[in-house]
Amino acid sequence: MTWQTVIGLEIHVQLSTKSKLFSGASTGFGAEPNTHVDLVDMGLPGVLPVPNKDAFLKAIRFGLATNAEINQVSSFDRKNYFYPDLPKGYQITQMAMPIVGKGSIKIFANGEEKIINITRAHLEEDAGKSVHDLFDGETGIDLNRAGTPLLEIVSEPEIANAKEAVAYFKAIRQIVTFLDICDGVMAEGSMRCDVNVSMKKVDDSELGTRAEIKNINSFKFIERAIAFEIDRQTKILESGGSVVQETRLYDSVKNETRSMRSKEEANDYRYFPEPDLLPVVISDKELEEIRLSLPELPEQKEKRYINEVKLEESEARIIASSKTMANMFEDACLKTDDSSLVARWLVGEVSALLNKDNIEIDESKLTSSNFAVLIERISDKTISGKIAKSVLEEIWESGNDVDAIINDKGLVQIQDESLLENIAKKIIEDNPAQVNAYKEGKDRLFGFFVGQVMKETQGKANPQSVNEILKKLLK
Amino acid sequence: MDKKTVRTIAHLSRLTFDEKNGEKITNDLNNIIKFVDQLNDAETSDIEPLTSPLEKVARTRPDNVTAENRKETFLKNAPSSNEDYILVPRVVE
Amino acid sequence: MSIQFKTIKELKDMLQKKEISNKEMVEDTFTLIESNKHLNAFVTLNKEVSLKKAENLDNNPSNLPLAGIPIAQKDLFCTKDLRTTCGSNMLSNFIPPYSATVIENLESAGCISIGKTNMDEFAMGSSNETSFFGNVENPWGEGLVPGGSSGGSASAVAAGIVAAASGTDTGGSIRQPASLCGITGLKPTYGRISRWGMIAFASSLDQAGPMARTAEDCALMLNEMCSHDPKDTTSLDENIPDFTQNLNSSIKGMKIGLVKEFDLSKLDNDVVKVFEESKRHYESLGAEFIEISLPNISLSVPTYYVVAPAECSSNLSRFDGVKFGRRCENPKDLEDLYVRSRSEGFGEEVKRRILIGSYVLSAGFYDAYYKKAQQVRRLIKNDFVSAFEKVDVIMSPTTRGTAFKAGSMGSDPIQMYLEDLFTIPANLAGLPAMSVPNGIVDNKPVGMQLIGNFLEESKILQAAHSFQSSTDWHLKTPNGDIS
Repeated sequence: MTWQTVIGLEIHVQLSTKSKLFSGASTGFGAEPNTHVDLVDMGLPGVLPVPNKDAFLKAIRFGLATNAEINQVSSFDRKNYFYPDLPKGYQITQMAMPIVGKGSIKIFANGEEKIINITRAHLEEDAGKSVHDLFDGETGIDLNRAGTPLLEIVSEPEIANAKEAVAYFKAIRQIVTFLDICDGVMAEGSMRCDVNVSMKKVDDSELGTRAEIKNINSFKFIERAIAFEIDRQTKILESGGSVVQETRLYDSVKNETRSMRSKEEANDYRYFPEPDLLPVVISDKELEEIRLSLPELPEQKEKRYINEVKLEESEARIIASSKTMANMFEDACLKTDDSSLVARWLVGEVSALLNKDNIEIDESKLTSSNFAVLIERISDKTISGKIAKSVLEEIWESGNDVDAIINDKGLVQIQDESLLENIAKKIIEDNPAQVNAYKEGKDRLFGFFVGQVMKETQGKANPQSVNEILKKLLK
Repeated sequence: MDKKTVRTIAHLSRLTFDEKNGEKITNDLNNIIKFVDQLNDAETSDIEPLTSPLEKVARTRPDNVTAENRKETFLKNAPSSNEDYILVPRVVE
Repeated sequence: MSIQFKTIKELKDMLQKKEISNKEMVEDTFTLIESNKHLNAFVTLNKEVSLKKAENLDNNPSNLPLAGIPIAQKDLFCTKDLRTTCGSNMLSNFIPPYSATVIENLESAGCISIGKTNMDEFAMGSSNETSFFGNVENPWGEGLVPGGSSGGSASAVAAGIVAAASGTDTGGSIRQPASLCGITGLKPTYGRISRWGMIAFASSLDQAGPMARTAEDCALMLNEMCSHDPKDTTSLDENIPDFTQNLNSSIKGMKIGLVKEFDLSKLDNDVVKVFEESKRHYESLGAEFIEISLPNISLSVPTYYVVAPAECSSNLSRFDGVKFGRRCENPKDLEDLYVRSRSEGFGEEVKRRILIGSYVLSAGFYDAYYKKAQQVRRLIKNDFVSAFEKVDVIMSPTTRGTAFKAGSMGSDPIQMYLEDLFTIPANLAGLPAMSVPNGIVDNKPVGMQLIGNFLEESKILQAAHSFQSSTDWHLKTPNGDIS
């Protein structure tokens, strides 16, 4: 029996507004519990919500970037359920008239490009946090997060496997960070996702019953949770059973998904239009202004890097895919002409250092001006590529200026041909056996001589010059 | 509305009542529902539901942080709290 | 000189002429409250703060429009640092950290909030028999209900304890008690008065309003209560006129509509006689009566009893024993906390409405009930829009009869719901409406209702003032006529 996996993702993106969706409390992360809470967030009797215009603008940017329908008239609904971190006993969300309608996004997975359609994206308020481990027999409620604006992005059930799911998640993350509508910091819960998994027989047109795995916030866990779930569901179906439609939680410690009994009973959310909020209308003029203010997106950047800056496709893709790297690239190129060298170093040495430290460029000590100077010094042969690597490592640690490092450490490349020739001649004189062996055909020994000259010059000799001189002398 | 429906609705509303009250409530609710069934007499196809008497659009606010820290006041008002959190019995997820 | 039964205008006069000091006025108010304790009109008194404010005013006189006037505030408005209960056990210990906009507006105008008045629990009721703090009595007769839900406010004004009080009206809760207590009460156009700080019952129907002895005083209060409030997105930003300006204009030629579908034959004969007499009086003032049709009006009460409970079932979910208000003792787990706190905290009528509300919103029933009701609501509103093309104001009795005995409505909730048959339509449509005393039957007051078009409070006030300038029903008190 061949079973086909059908996956849909609901991604909750925390919009990076300064204040909350319906109140003037701060959305800043990491504050002491219950200090970023307004009367409105507390759900006190008599309080009323007032929508944050910026949340709408950010949502619309997402819609435009995904070629989606923008509903210029959108409204709010109440979703009713009881939970201690939901102060009003209902969440204000958009059910009937979401701000963003159907759109699509391109993903790269399993070596292929695929379009995933997005059903809708709507605004809603986040709930607070329940803290279970700090107290014996009690749960603490922190409402700092309650009321933070979320954009819930719902994909069509068109994702076929875990790799595609991760690629889709990454693609969404890329867009929202490029658009500056979300900081994309997964560790802080800026993006969370619910994964819907169902299985069906390949030639069945109907979808199978789905299970929803809630609140996963890492790429790794998405993959693992899906893998477990596919396995679980396949086993059930193969043995003739049926999958229960339910909500499940992923346990990263045990690497399994578990049913969330408690949420099952209260499934009737009794949605109805929010009577405290009138519909929000975005004018044609405002929409146009937002459209014009959209920053260049990865796809556009990549095209421009290839066509205008003349970068290699693979380099262009890597640089364009990260906002911080693209910014570094573009800033550095303003300060030096050798854009292809900038690109090569970014993709090579700089990326290696970023991966080692697991940070983004804007968290490192490398500035675009310093980087540009480094590239210039390689270009004009002041230092060799190898030396430049150690200079880069020094900048990474200390943040010092390139020229200061070069001078302090006396790293200027030795270009003086006559000096190099003298050194080379001495090496040749001191190593007659190797000279003979080389002349008799052991070509590999050429490297030995190069190495000796480099050692003698503490690596500062211009490698090309060394090669040429040695070739001449060893003929 | 049978007793089972009433129990379900009561659970959704987090309300409870004893057997005796349960009967009266079921009766009352059924009478009220019968009373509002009159609405079926109205011809309403193509009529847009009216959510608010104001036929207007929402005012929004600019994205500014205007709230002050009221932690102490809120925690003081809570039936059970410590210096940082509002407390409820342990919730098992 | 006694302050009992004085109007705002008269009290202002007394203060200005220094016939009485601010402090004495407040002290006298509290004396009146004490001697009328049996009415049970107040839940919380604000004596200390009030006396201090009064003393301040005596030392630093003020020109503010309501300077020094003692006002009773319905216990549905949040008052900072002063207990606010909504007539419920659930909030019997709730001290709000902020004040409602309407309270701030009135206090900025100089009034002194002397206490919080009793009310039907969470504004649900038409007789003030559902309050956790006990029934309120109508000063017109022992054991008589004052009406509800603003029963305490109505009783306090009717007994002459205060010249005016704030009330709220969702299905008639200002107008119906005003009618049963023989005072004047007005519900403005939806959105005129900010709902910030008004504990919500049914968000699309709730509106605050003044209750006083005269239309003129209602106008004075309304001037201060109305404001555009950015904290309430349903608050109007239409121009707020001076509601006292046109009071004295003649109503000659004013077209008054009579609703064809209101079958007055079902009412008590004496009450109908009172209504007919008022019609004749208006004709003598030059008004013209025109029959209008509101074809869907008979569906108002069922519509209301779907929409209001639906909204309230959601609005009252925040009362869960977690963050404020009463929590049950020793909850064994979260579910127990919710269920017991709410079941112990809410009274029967509130629970009934929450259950109905949850039912009509539940999956499978939403279209048949809630959506249907919202559609009928639009039909009712459209009927009014057409009617107001032909008339300036619409007139009807406010209630079916006069004040009834507490406990006499029986255990069928629907009987009580029909009390609001004349008042509910204006809430559904969002129109301004007021009740004006227009007769006495069996020594109990009768009231008539005037409904105006959107934003036309001035017109109904004008019609009311005209009536009150040429009749003396509003001068009748349980203690006899005011000369």
